Amino acid sequence: MTIALDAPAGPPPKRFRLRAPGFVLAVPSFVWYVFLFVIPVALVIVNSFGSKVQGTPGKVDLTHPGLDRYREVVDGSFSTLLVQTMRTSLLGTVLCVVISMPIAYYLAFKVGPRAKVVVLALLMVPFFTNYLLRTLAWKIVLQPKGFVSNFLQDTHWFTLGQALRSGPIEILDTRTAVQLAIVYNYLPLMIFPLWVALDRVELHLREASKDLGANRVRTFLQVTLPLAMPGIVAGLVLVFVPLSGDYVTAELLGGVKGNMVGRAVADQYFRAQDAASGSAIAVSLIISILVVLGVLAGFFWFMRKLLANNRKVALVAR
Amino acid sequence: MSRRDDTPRILISQAAAQRLAQSISRRRFLAMSGGVAAAAALAACGSDSKKSADTTASSTASTTASSSGGTGATTAPSSGGGGNVDKNLNMFTWAEYDDPDLLKSWGDINLTIFNSNEEAIQKLVQGGGSSGFDMVVPTGVYIPQLAKADLLLELDKSKIPNFANLDPAYANQTWDQGNKYSVCKNWGTTGWIYDTTIVTKEIKTWADFIAAAQGEASGKTSVLDTAPNLCGMYFWANGIDWTTEKAEDLDACEKFLVDDFASHLKAFDSYPGINLTQGNYALSMVWNGDARQGLIGVQDAGDDVNQYKWGLGAPETELWMDNWCILKEAKNVDAAYDFINFILDPKNSVTDLAFHGYNTGIKGVEELAGDVSFKDMIFFTEAQVATFKSGAVNSAQDRLVDIYSKVKAKAGA
Repeated sequence: MTIALDAPAGPPPKRFRLRAPGFVLAVPSFVWYVFLFVIPVALVIVNSFGSKVQGTPGKVDLTHPGLDRYREVVDGSFSTLLVQTMRTSLLGTVLCVVISMPIAYYLAFKVGPRAKVVVLALLMVPFFTNYLLRTLAWKIVLQPKGFVSNFLQDTHWFTLGQALRSGPIEILDTRTAVQLAIVYNYLPLMIFPLWVALDRVELHLREASKDLGANRVRTFLQVTLPLAMPGIVAGLVLVFVPLSGDYVTAELLGGVKGNMVGRAVADQYFRAQDAASGSAIAVSLIISILVVLGVLAGFFWFMRKLLANNRKVALVAR
Repeated sequence: MSRRDDTPRILISQAAAQRLAQSISRRRFLAMSGGVAAAAALAACGSDSKKSADTTASSTASTTASSSGGTGATTAPSSGGGGNVDKNLNMFTWAEYDDPDLLKSWGDINLTIFNSNEEAIQKLVQGGGSSGFDMVVPTGVYIPQLAKADLLLELDKSKIPNFANLDPAYANQTWDQGNKYSVCKNWGTTGWIYDTTIVTKEIKTWADFIAAAQGEASGKTSVLDTAPNLCGMYFWANGIDWTTEKAEDLDACEKFLVDDFASHLKAFDSYPGINLTQGNYALSMVWNGDARQGLIGVQDAGDDVNQYKWGLGAPETELWMDNWCILKEAKNVDAAYDFINFILDPKNSVTDLAFHGYNTGIKGVEELAGDVSFKDMIFFTEAQVATFKSGAVNSAQDRLVDIYSKVKAKAGA
């Protein structure tokens, strides 16, 4: 790459040229990737094959590497926890999509440019608020003696002869509490990709669909939704992966019933001082996430094939 | 040729203009997020400057406190560091464990919280001594492990003249003979607190506690979030020494806790006092000081304290002692000595005691405490103290943690 200066034809003087090859620009990110991702994760994987040196704070014995820690994960109650975590994460992701879709649609097609700024700001304020703080807010809301619980029991407000509930709400320290708070916490991560995806669907394609006689629902299902699919998948992954490893929500709201794998990993490291078991659980979590994503990818691929085969008109890829 | 105006002008229909404006808004979204982030950063800077203003205020407060202490203190206040110590400390300690106003009156202390001794040790070891902390507050029985990992500084007692104020009964413990590494911060014990509107039968022993957890308080019970306490409950209830290393005791403990107890639990919580009085639990295993803080909360809210009942573990229960230790890699060693000397001053010790509700082991502290609220939850009779048993970190430790992990997993299943 040369830069033409105000010089006559011919190469510029050599000493003015930057001769570094292009990949130099990628070096910082490469270093970042190796030192902050590859090496630590490799160490975790290596540790997962070892065993704890009894009586030490977290030393790992690697002289007899084996799969014993994984066997403990599979045999013990950790596998139940893994399944429960996957279920909570999948349900959370689905709830996020269901709630986000109308909001993103509204934002992309129904709001004027001025109001859009306001709506986006409203969405971003909670997103930029400290995660811990937002989760603690749920603790206040869900308390058995909190204002929501008291309000629901108040006979003055619900004069139908009876209060809505006979006792205080008992949601805190359950899986329901974790599920609620997780959906709330990860909602912005779903709304933004969905909105961007819908926003990129060109208006004239939707207009064409309408001109050709499709009603609103059909336009949404057959034009808007397929075109926005890449963004929806991005949103799914963006929400599902961090959600599966979530630790703070379960720690604050879960009690013993709403446990998540992330918390079990932390417990193994900090309570049991057993880095080997902790690593094995962490690796099992990573594998579970990859398996679920793989299954989802297969499902989407299958659906695409099915759609393509049943389409009456062939679409030409742009 | 030159353009007069850099702004491009396009001739399009009104509808198209509207569409164009919408497509621009995505870029504007990014710009706006940048703007919000910048605003947040500015706000953070604002709070920083406020904090430094606080620090200045607190340092002036500390000068006044030390001068008044100089006139009023009964013991010699002059420490090794004299008055020229930079009063700045990074402390690794338990939650809600010191009176913030008292700490401020000494100087600037940055607190970091841990939830269990294992966690503290793990983090200190992983930091390789460069974790940035000057002081740590471990429980006595864990001090040998910390010392073995070469993390603690051997104390120079000549820099802590107020060490003489400590009751000899709380010095020279088996886990740190001659107070080589530690000075007693305070000691406490374990019992229970329950909501009498839900648990109607009186709880007198650990066996009653377990029965209530399986009965009236099923699904509304919390236990301390430590392995020795969880297993200790079973051992105390069954007349077994809680430092047992026998395999059959540990097997029986695991079988009972996993099969018959775990499913009744609601949470593992080391600080259940406030949570219980807010209706989250009906029955909790609790350290005496935390139970007292919960009851004080009820009193302050103007509610009926008699709804909740505190009980001391029986027939036997725990005796633990938390200690001031200085880390070998501490940057502010002189400040740490100065702080330990400060907190061992009877006047300061009593102020701290009124906050955390644990006996600080300073000579005559019970008389000094006067009519501090819920005094019977801080100071115990000799007959009661005789039932307190110190724990141990022994060969059973890993097994206890294993049982604890299994109970936790079973409770969530």
